[in-house]
Amino acid sequence: MLAQKLHLLRHNVLSFVSSRTGSDFTRRQYDVIVVGGGHAGTEAAAAAARLGAETLLITQKIMTIGALSCNPSLGGVGKGQLVREVDALDGLCGRAGDAAGVHFSILNRSKGPAVWGPRAQLDRERYRQFIQSELLSTPRLTVLEGSVDELLVSQPNPEEPGHHRVTGIRLVDGSHPILSSSVVLTTGTFLSGSLFMGQTTSPGGRMGDAQSCAGLSYTLKETLGLRVGRLRTGTPPRIVKESVDLSLAQLQAPDKQPTPFSFLNTHTRCKPEEQLPCYLTHTTPGVERVVRESVHLNCHIQQDAKGPRYCPSIESRVLRFPGRRHQVWLEPEGLTSDLLYPQGLSMTMPPELQLRLLREIPALHRAEIRTPGYGVQYDFVCPTQLTPSLQVKSTQGLFLAGQINGTTGYEEAAAQGLWAGVNAGRTALSLPPMALSRTQSYIGVLIDDLVGRGVTEPYRMFTSRAEFRTYLRPDNADLRLTPRGFEEVGCVTLRRYKKAVSVRDGLQEALMALQSVALSSTRWREKLGNISLSENKSTTLNGLDLLQYKDVSFEMLASAFPECLSQYFEYSQRLKIEAVYRPHCEKQSREMERIRSEESLSLPSDMDYLSLPVSLSQEVREILDRVRPNTLGAATRLPGMTPAGIIHLLNYVLRTGFMHML
Amino acid sequence: IFFVHRASPSARGLCIPTRAVCDAETIFALSSGHGRCGVAVVRVSGPASSMVLRNMAGLTQALPPPRTALLRRITDPKSKELLDRGLVLWFKGSLEGVRPAEAGEFTRRAFHAGKLGLTEVEGLGDLIHAETEAQRRQALRQMDGELGRLYQDWSYRLKRCLAHVEAFIDFSEDELIEDGVLNQVDSSVRQLETEIERHLKDERRGERLRTGVQVVIAGATNAGKSSLLNTHRVPPSRGTTRRPLVEREGVRRARQRVEQADLTLVVVDSTQLPPDPQLVAAFLQQHLSTVLPSPEAGMTAASDKVLLVLNKSDLVPEEQRERTEGELRERPGLPPACFLSCSTSTGLEDFLTVLQSRVKTLCGDPLSGAPSLTQARHRAHLQQSVQALNQYHQYRDQDLALAAEGVRLALTHLGRITGRVGAEEILDIIFRDFCIGK
Repeated sequence: MLAQKLHLLRHNVLSFVSSRTGSDFTRRQYDVIVVGGGHAGTEAAAAAARLGAETLLITQKIMTIGALSCNPSLGGVGKGQLVREVDALDGLCGRAGDAAGVHFSILNRSKGPAVWGPRAQLDRERYRQFIQSELLSTPRLTVLEGSVDELLVSQPNPEEPGHHRVTGIRLVDGSHPILSSSVVLTTGTFLSGSLFMGQTTSPGGRMGDAQSCAGLSYTLKETLGLRVGRLRTGTPPRIVKESVDLSLAQLQAPDKQPTPFSFLNTHTRCKPEEQLPCYLTHTTPGVERVVRESVHLNCHIQQDAKGPRYCPSIESRVLRFPGRRHQVWLEPEGLTSDLLYPQGLSMTMPPELQLRLLREIPALHRAEIRTPGYGVQYDFVCPTQLTPSLQVKSTQGLFLAGQINGTTGYEEAAAQGLWAGVNAGRTALSLPPMALSRTQSYIGVLIDDLVGRGVTEPYRMFTSRAEFRTYLRPDNADLRLTPRGFEEVGCVTLRRYKKAVSVRDGLQEALMALQSVALSSTRWREKLGNISLSENKSTTLNGLDLLQYKDVSFEMLASAFPECLSQYFEYSQRLKIEAVYRPHCEKQSREMERIRSEESLSLPSDMDYLSLPVSLSQEVREILDRVRPNTLGAATRLPGMTPAGIIHLLNYVLRTGFMHML
Repeated sequence: IFFVHRASPSARGLCIPTRAVCDAETIFALSSGHGRCGVAVVRVSGPASSMVLRNMAGLTQALPPPRTALLRRITDPKSKELLDRGLVLWFKGSLEGVRPAEAGEFTRRAFHAGKLGLTEVEGLGDLIHAETEAQRRQALRQMDGELGRLYQDWSYRLKRCLAHVEAFIDFSEDELIEDGVLNQVDSSVRQLETEIERHLKDERRGERLRTGVQVVIAGATNAGKSSLLNTHRVPPSRGTTRRPLVEREGVRRARQRVEQADLTLVVVDSTQLPPDPQLVAAFLQQHLSTVLPSPEAGMTAASDKVLLVLNKSDLVPEEQRERTEGELRERPGLPPACFLSCSTSTGLEDFLTVLQSRVKTLCGDPLSGAPSLTQARHRAHLQQSVQALNQYHQYRDQDLALAAEGVRLALTHLGRITGRVGAEEILDIIFRDFCIGK
């Protein structure tokens, strides 16, 4: 069904978008304007529109909305958790992944459900189509092709903090401004972006697209006085599939049964047997030789801008860890694509050397390059200048999301985009901004890390960043976020809300049913056969206790008590996971409560830490002045902060009545 | 609950109780200055406060009216041993387990409960500042010492363990994380557990700091034991020092006391020493063997737990004394010997210097501030660390997220002593130790 519908839409979609951007475009005022059509921009626009705001999405090229600029995959360990959460808040990327995936696997299968990483290889075309058709069918959302020249600002609303207030934007070719009280910038690598290949440099944010944002960069830096930093990233060459000797690589099969990203889907568009494999191969000493010989011809790696430690170019990997074999994954680009994406071979040397390097790998000894790899350097706005709602502290109504905040990755961008869109919509509708707690979601961890500590290299999500990893699981993202997303935030549609509530109630009932069956250990052993229970014979255990045991499944319990448990079969996996983690999550609840209450104590953004009349060391003053934490919780997590410093700060803020609750 | 004690010779403590706010756990802390204060204030806050008051102040029936001070005997809740006498009072709050408070926790907790008004916070402020600042300074001082290096070493090794488990969780699916990285963690964790447990069992040093050094004065009748005790009013070091007197007659009992003592001062009447200095060493050796327990009990005359006090030095001709001193200096097999005269105080200064340095050695790191609170916290955190590490082994093969949780928790507890460890620090180790990159 879904497949058919998408197919029918395929030819109509883009023309409809275009016509709407052309003749239908008459308005000069919107509730929310989103600049950029990548992962952050699309989620932001869709979320603002779901909230009820009249929203305009401006992108340089409508055709590239929903494009996967780099790797053809979604999810993974940590990132998969973000996709599940974006989906739980009714975002797009989870469903898009289910529609576009061609190779699904759950990573970390053997390491515990809290750290499972749902991941899929994607068909680039299908992903783009899905996102474009979703945006098209979203009420209150208009898409416009154009380039933003200037951000319009005026005097701030004196009742709120800030030095400026956003009033709209002006297009490069537009004579009249488009007005809006909320603007979300999701310009990715296009902010003063430069492309690098070998010894050549050209302005731009992505190969093949227009350069951009000179005017916007100027506004941010000069007019608004925002601090910016510079980061770099890169992408590998795309290889012609036919030229690769796959028999020399190791085949990596997908999961037999694909698991959908979205809580709304029971299956993926791609059938299990239609999935494509990936291939694994390795670098050789020859690769290292080519890198060393080409260093002097490689501008990008000689630059100062910080690149990510965890997604480095092959040049940096070889130079940092010489004499080792590095993994290279050959990934499909889509069902009909004739290209392979060599994950791990991002490089910026001259194209002829890229070819030489590839051919040092046995499976690639005859490889042909379709498009060479290249590097990008771009400006990002230091994210400590944002509030937890992703609004620029000094500029009312201006929100930033995605790579412009120093992150890397589709999932990180989508998560921020959604939350910036939510708050842009709320601001436009005169609702107070909202923050997500790091105790409740990876999105909360992501945003809190960004605005609370800033970045020194492109920020990527890892499960190790979350304090409450055993609670922030992919299986329960709907319970954590969907009801709140509907009841408080307003970004969740009724259909999804109803579904989440029915799941929540069903799980609750099932847990109670499990707790209602209680037997002695001896009796359980008799019922279930040969299981090893550590408790002594007379201890009474209920079904939930029992389900914690490694060897005990819900199915076993349901067959022992069919009358009261068999109706909950659909939840068997979730119940098992809940049983294992629940005792640990309960133990953490005190710490969680502490973090949450400190998150709720907000610090004024205009505090003069350097001259604050309290006893703080100069070192601590400078840290506070630089980072300007939004909350006492964020201050607590700053490196170098002492307990005494926190208490002094708390006392001062209390005394002066500065403190207000979020 | 507040317990307030008047200064009495034994009163180190007294206590104050405080408002119970609606938190799950009950916490306690010494709220007045540390060490030998005339009055001490101990605060207890949390749902189990009333239980603490009942059990420790002998209030088995109803509690007294709130905000009313009562003079009570304060007893150990388990052994019922009398600890002290003091004032107790309590303030009504909204309403198991009691643990030492974190720095600043009282203020934070009271504030979050909305119970602490502006003036109260200000009033409490100085007290709390003193507490947290003192703790911070003390922690810094300690961290320079031997103990600090030990904890830092554990913390570093634990960080690496955690980083390697986290690397295995976050990266092993895509990256070449060497096989066996978890096996290395297994053995490192086991090694750490053993070391921390051994440290916890070796209580004597910390114990001495908290309760004082047990010093026994032994010697023959009329050697001058009582005189020494009376002369020596100044405590040789911080903390209370008790000096049970042991008479010669109860030899068996005396030996038992000596065996349990941290330090034994063997007092000898110098007029009884052989006039020929060359014979003194052998004489003393013989004498010690009658006073001290047998070498099998782990105590030999050369043990650093013994000092020889040669009393009544004023009655010995100066020349003989000097020659004897020369003979005894650095004599292998004999503990240090000090000539002194309790009646004229000659030699007392030198003796005190020797005694003081011996006590310092016995107590480990010589802290200038009383470490009681910090020590109690350290102990609790170390114990919790070990417990948490158990969780690692328990879940190692079943659920790595829960196993890692154990290591994280252990590090959190250790971090409360050595400083907080953030996710960034763990990631730094991961990227240093592994080649990560897709």
